[in-house]
Amino acid sequence: MARKSGTATDKRLAFEREALPHLDAIYTAALRLARNADDANDLAQETILRAYRFFDQFTPGSNCRAWMLTILYNNFRNSYRRGARERPADSADEFSGEIDANSLDADQSRINPEELLSSRMTGQRIELALAALPDEFREALILVDVQELNYQEVADVLGVPLGTVKSRVSRGRALMRRALCKLDRARGKTGT
Amino acid sequence: MDCREYISEYLAGHADGELAPLARRAGDEHVAGCPICRAQLIENRALKAMVRQSAGIVKAPADLKARIRTALDQADRANDAPWDTRLAAFAAMPRRIGERLRAPIVWAPAGIAAAIAIALMIAIGSVNHRRAAAIPPVPQFELAIARYHDFQREFVPNVPAEAYSDGDSTLYAWVMNRDPVRRVAADEAQTDAFDDIARSYRSANMPDDLFDLTQAGYEIAGGRVDRMADGRPVTYTLYTGRAGQIVSLCFSDPTMAAPLHAVNWLGMRSFYEYKGYSICLSFYPTGHFISILISRMPVTQLMRDIAAADLSGISR
Ligand SMILES: [Zn+2]
Repeated sequence: MARKSGTATDKRLAFEREALPHLDAIYTAALRLARNADDANDLAQETILRAYRFFDQFTPGSNCRAWMLTILYNNFRNSYRRGARERPADSADEFSGEIDANSLDADQSRINPEELLSSRMTGQRIELALAALPDEFREALILVDVQELNYQEVADVLGVPLGTVKSRVSRGRALMRRALCKLDRARGKTGT
Repeated sequence: MDCREYISEYLAGHADGELAPLARRAGDEHVAGCPICRAQLIENRALKAMVRQSAGIVKAPADLKARIRTALDQADRANDAPWDTRLAAFAAMPRRIGERLRAPIVWAPAGIAAAIAIALMIAIGSVNHRRAAAIPPVPQFELAIARYHDFQREFVPNVPAEAYSDGDSTLYAWVMNRDPVRRVAADEAQTDAFDDIARSYRSANMPDDLFDLTQAGYEIAGGRVDRMADGRPVTYTLYTGRAGQIVSLCFSDPTMAAPLHAVNWLGMRSFYEYKGYSICLSFYPTGHFISILISRMPVTQLMRDIAAADLSGISR
C-alpha cells in the first residue's frame, strides 16, 4: 500500500527485533502472576500490545525485557489482582524477624552446594520452597534469578525503592534456604 | 566487617553481582578469610542457579504467538485507518469483561459505542465458552463434589476404630464415634487424632499420610473409611479452618490421569478450578492411589495452605 508510511513499518520491525524476543519471558511472568493459563495468555497479549502502542517511550539501549515487565506488572496490579491472592500485609515483617535470627545461626542445617545441584534436589523442591514464600519475596527472587534483572530494574518493575529490593532478595534467599532444609528432613511424603 | 554484617548486608548483593566496586572488594576480602561466609556465598549462587533452572522461562504457546501477530497486524492497519475503525479494532481485541475494560478510556459517539458493546458481547461469549469447555467432566471430581456436599450436611467420623475389622467385608462395620463433626479434634489431643486416623487407614490397607494443615490454621475434624459403589475402599478426611472446610478423598484408581488445564502445579500436585470448587489432585507413587482435596476457598488459598502442609513435615 502506498499509504503505509515508512515509520510505521520501521516501528514494527524495531518492535519485532527488540521486544518480541522477550515474549517467552513475558509469558512466564504472566503465568506466575495470573496463575492460570487463560489469564496468562490475556495478560501477556495485553502487555505486548500495550508495549507496541507505547514503543516510542522505550529508551533504545536500555533493558527491553525490564521495560515490558514493568508494563506487565502495572497492568496486572491495575486490572487482575484480586483480594484472594493477597497475603496479609504484615507477612513480610513477620518473616523478616525470624530470618534475621535464623540466618545468622551457627548453621547446623547448612545446605551442601553440591547436594543442592544434585538430582536429589529436584525442581519440585525448589518450586515448593518458592511457593511457600510470601509473594513479595518470591517476586523479587524470580525477577532477579529467572528474569535476570538487576536490582534497579526490579525496583522499577515492582515500583518499590532499591533498598526494599535488596532486603527482599536477601531475606527471600534466606527463607528459601530454610524451607529447603525443612524439605530435606520431611521428604517423599504424600498426604491424604 | 564481621560475619553478621556480611550476611545481612553483602551476601545477596555479592552473589548477584550487585555490589559497588568498593563494597565488592570488602566482600571479597571477607570471604577470602572466612570459610563460613564463603560457603554461604557458594550456596547462594547455587540457589540462584536452581531457581533459574526449575522456575525458568517457559515457552509461550504457539497460539498465543499467532494471536499476538494478528493483533499487531490489526494495530498496524488500524493506525492507517480513520479513527472510528480504530475504535472498532480496539473493541474487537480479545478481552474479558470486568475491571480491565476501564483501563483504556475512549470517547465514542453513541453509534460506535453500541458497535463496541456488541463486539464485546461476542468476545465475552467466546471467552466464557472457552472457559466452560476448559475442563471436560471428570468423574473423580464429580464424586468429590458429591461427597463435599454430603459432608457439608453431616460428617460422621467412623474412625478411630480400635476394634477395627474388615472381616465382614464392610470396612466400617465397627463405628465408634457417632458424634458430630469436631468430636475427634475437640476431645483428643491433635496428635492422637492424627495417629488414630492414620492407624485406621493403615489397617484398611489405605495410605496413612495425613495433611498436617495445623500450621495453616486447620483442625482435623475426623476421618472415615468407606466403600464406593463398586466396592473400592475410600478414605475421607475432613479439615476445618478459618478459610472453610477441606474434604480429602483417597482411593485407588489406575485409570485416572491428571486432567488438562490445571491452574497450577506444585511438584506432584496439580490444582484445578472446577465448577466453582478448588481441587488439589495428587498421585501416590504406588498402588494407583490418588488423593483429591476439594474446597470452596479460592484455589490460591488452597495452594498456599497445602504448600505449608508439605513444608511442615506431614504425617507423624
Ligand atoms: Zn564470615
